[in-house]
Amino acid sequence: MSEDRSPRVNEVDASDGGAMATATRHALEALAAADWLRAVVLASAAVALALGLTAVLIAISGKDPVVAYAALVRGAIGSLDRIAFALNKSTPYILGGVGVALCFRARVINIGAEGQIAVGGIAATWVALNIAASLGVIVIPAAIVAAALGGAGWAAFAAAIRLTRGVHEVLCTLLLNFVGLLLVSEALHGSMGEPGAGFPQSPLFMRAAWLPNLVTGTDLHIGILIAVLAVVACHLLLWRTTFGFRLRVLGASPAAAAYAGVSFPRCAFAVMALAGGLAGIAGGIEVLGVHYRLIEGFSLGFGFNAVAVALLASINPIAVLPAGLFLGFLEAGALAMQREVGVPSSLVFVIQGLMMVFVLCAIGIGIRQQRV
Amino acid sequence: MDGAAIVEFLAASIRIATPLLFGALGGLLSERAGTFAVGIEGMMLAGAFGGAVTMLLTADTGTGLAVSAGSGAAAGLVVAVATAKFRADHMVTGLALNILVVGLTSFLLRGLFGGQAPVIQLPTLKALPIPYLADLPGIGRVLFHQPALTYAALALTLAIWVLLAKTRTGLMLRAVGENPEAAFTAGSNPVRVRMAAIVAGGALAGLGGAVLSLQEVGTFTDGMTNGRGFIALAAIIVGRWMPFPTLLGCLLFGGVAALELRVQGWDLPVSSYIIQMTPYLAALAVLAGIGRGARLPAAIGTAFTRN
Repeated sequence: MSEDRSPRVNEVDASDGGAMATATRHALEALAAADWLRAVVLASAAVALALGLTAVLIAISGKDPVVAYAALVRGAIGSLDRIAFALNKSTPYILGGVGVALCFRARVINIGAEGQIAVGGIAATWVALNIAASLGVIVIPAAIVAAALGGAGWAAFAAAIRLTRGVHEVLCTLLLNFVGLLLVSEALHGSMGEPGAGFPQSPLFMRAAWLPNLVTGTDLHIGILIAVLAVVACHLLLWRTTFGFRLRVLGASPAAAAYAGVSFPRCAFAVMALAGGLAGIAGGIEVLGVHYRLIEGFSLGFGFNAVAVALLASINPIAVLPAGLFLGFLEAGALAMQREVGVPSSLVFVIQGLMMVFVLCAIGIGIRQQRV
Repeated sequence: MDGAAIVEFLAASIRIATPLLFGALGGLLSERAGTFAVGIEGMMLAGAFGGAVTMLLTADTGTGLAVSAGSGAAAGLVVAVATAKFRADHMVTGLALNILVVGLTSFLLRGLFGGQAPVIQLPTLKALPIPYLADLPGIGRVLFHQPALTYAALALTLAIWVLLAKTRTGLMLRAVGENPEAAFTAGSNPVRVRMAAIVAGGALAGLGGAVLSLQEVGTFTDGMTNGRGFIALAAIIVGRWMPFPTLLGCLLFGGVAALELRVQGWDLPVSSYIIQMTPYLAALAVLAGIGRGARLPAAIGTAFTRN
């Protein structure tokens, strides 16, 4: 987080940097191989501690934690419908979280997923409402590409302010989140709104723009497949490409990155735009697959969930999949728990916040070395 | 705007700046001692909640304010332990605290009252005109016809300045923020100083939350701080980590918000949602305008270890 992250050292001789890079890569990958078990233990411990503490809270509120958690589990995995619901919930968290994980890798603290999801949703809605009829079968791909571009553009805007004006990316992205949410309201009270609807929402999309279902008879749409693909792609990007290596070096040692000629501004801009694109897709999937329309506040809280998922996954893209699923199932269960037992579902945020603090502390004292 | 409208506008700017100022001064303490204060938003929300619930139960303003400061300090303690003791990342810990407090306040609001959020309607703290001064033309209405906590915030700015610039404690706090190793060599305990600064900052931010819930609106709603903690952070940067310039930063953003409220009544061809974006865009624009070179405490964001 220091101000001198942008490398000012001249580029070193390419062959020299290359040899160093190869040696470093071998050393680091050996380290990484032994590390995943610790990450699993750490994440489980953080989750268990958080669930334990929230059980105390439930007891304080006069309810039986065992009954409450039983309702939560039933609500998460009790039936095919609940599982479908939870998988749909997980989808935006996975897509947002994997982008945040890549950013955190390079020490870029992008917490703008919320705004990026919102703008992605607006872009997909624009396509679905205005040009769907002329697009025919490619309406869904077109809407998702538009969503990705919208999210990427929103993130690139924040990145540009960060890189040209030196405003910390935490503040840029946070402030733009509020603006992104208001943009949705503006769109819905303006050209995209459904006239006469009691709630700020767009008209229903035409059938061709609805994401197809994955399992007939349930609400499960193909978004989860897109999320899994994105996770695999980001995993390969991080561990198998030069760009991924640059991100890892930037995260491990800004000085080494500067010495190896890795440009922080270029990488930071690219990784933020990429994360923004993924978040934008999440927004697109949400409107095309869940609501079939744009509704006010549809992205509320998604951005923080993405950060929580990335942390729970120890900023490892492939681990974002279980972490995101966990959070989606947790939320689906908590909503059912609220209905059945009357325990407020805002408990999810408590669990998330506690979990994050525990993971951060563990990383801080080096129980889990930040691997490169 | 005529004269009376300008006076009203300036008075409103100061009133709206008050919670920001409490938050910013709290954040200032934390950041001058070397810890990023991203958790200010959560500490303010904790204070707003603690104050409102206490007022609902006891109807005693003093107790309400004490509990709001205590709630903010408790939220600060989470960040203090995580960042200073466990060396957790400052930024992300602050964010985690914000989520935690959003969830905890929303949960407790329902959980403590049998599952349903109670309707909270508190009498707001009224303006407390200062005798004679309040009758001065113009300035009297702007400066001396404010609620109690607004005077307190202004006095606090002076107090923080004295603390930081004129006292040994303040010197130690700044030393820990600039060079904790040197401060440690000189006999102070950087971990403890940072923790104390964060907790004290949390108490101030908690009072800022009380300004919102008790002085401004007289109720508590989920997530009611709505980004004010982040605007307060921007004000600290605008104020270059110094108390009085930070006060000006808060007044600037208070002015933008006051203008926003008035512009909404002017029937402009712009929708209210665009107008609502102005505080956030103004903060962003001002920060971008200042650009790099803002004078950050040298050791901010770093962890201190004895070896």
